[in-house]
Amino acid sequence: MAVGKRKIECPLYAEGTAVSEEDIKTRKVTHYEDHPDIRYSWTAGQAISRFLNGLKEGKILGVKCDGCKRIMVPPRMFCELCYKPIDGWVELKDTGTILTYSISYIDPDARPLPKPIVVALIQIDGASQNMAIMHLIGEIEPEKVYVGMRVKAVWKPENEREGSVTDIKYWKPLEG
Amino acid sequence: MIEKITDPEKLRHWGGKIELYWVYTSGKAGDLFFKKLKADGKFLAAKCKKCCWIYFPPRIYCPKDFSETEYLEVSGEGRVRAFTVARLDPYEKELKKPEIYALIDIDGTNGSIIHLLGEVNAEEVSIGMRVKPVLKPKEQMLGDLTDILYFKPI
Repeated sequence: MAVGKRKIECPLYAEGTAVSEEDIKTRKVTHYEDHPDIRYSWTAGQAISRFLNGLKEGKILGVKCDGCKRIMVPPRMFCELCYKPIDGWVELKDTGTILTYSISYIDPDARPLPKPIVVALIQIDGASQNMAIMHLIGEIEPEKVYVGMRVKAVWKPENEREGSVTDIKYWKPLEG
Repeated sequence: MIEKITDPEKLRHWGGKIELYWVYTSGKAGDLFFKKLKADGKFLAAKCKKCCWIYFPPRIYCPKDFSETEYLEVSGEGRVRAFTVARLDPYEKELKKPEIYALIDIDGTNGSIIHLLGEVNAEEVSIGMRVKPVLKPKEQMLGDLTDILYFKPI
């Protein structure tokens, strides 16, 4: 093997040394371990802050743009199509239509869930087409969910709401 | 112009934590180094069989010419090549006693180590000062760099 301009002999591979968890625990293998405490705080911004505060009052808030006539949810302060600030706030209904959904059998840490959950993109009534928020579907067997299904929000009791998307517990099928 | 939230209490945020955890093993030569330190309170270095460069801390091979190395014992004493005085802790809180961190060239080797200086005031430290390691009591040793408490002037 040539390294730089020098000819150097060396083995093609070096044999590794296996280390087990036991070797670490008993300090059979010397080591250094660390668990740094890394925290962050991410601001929700003007539009989402107002949206979350609205949820606390049991309201789903959207914004409108007079340029493209769209009603947008989740809200934003700037219309990305007209490239201008939005023109106002509107209260939307807490009913909607499932645009797409997924049945999940595992939690965010990939552990099996006792019961599968249905996560859906819900187009909110009163907002423009394809304006949707992601949420859970409940009170229905996962295999009975379908695209186009009409749903309604099931809210937490007012005193338990904290201005979070979880203030809506889930969305249930809308009868009739 | 659309009305904006001006009350900071009404502006929302998410707090989060990034989970990070690691175990960094000392490697073959590092393992020998720390075990020797723990068992006998002695320091190991490694000498390249070809170019005779002496590595401290030891290495299993010479990165200059990929030749094998052989271990040898050194005293652990050395000279301060550079130093800095820390007056704040990692959270920027004032330390009761300033800590002196030094890069120490180890006698009889081409290597050096960064460690604390002790039993000396920051004002008295000088470059080229002779120092020697002060070890933890043997029963408290873990087999890591904190087994050396600090280096003190000779």
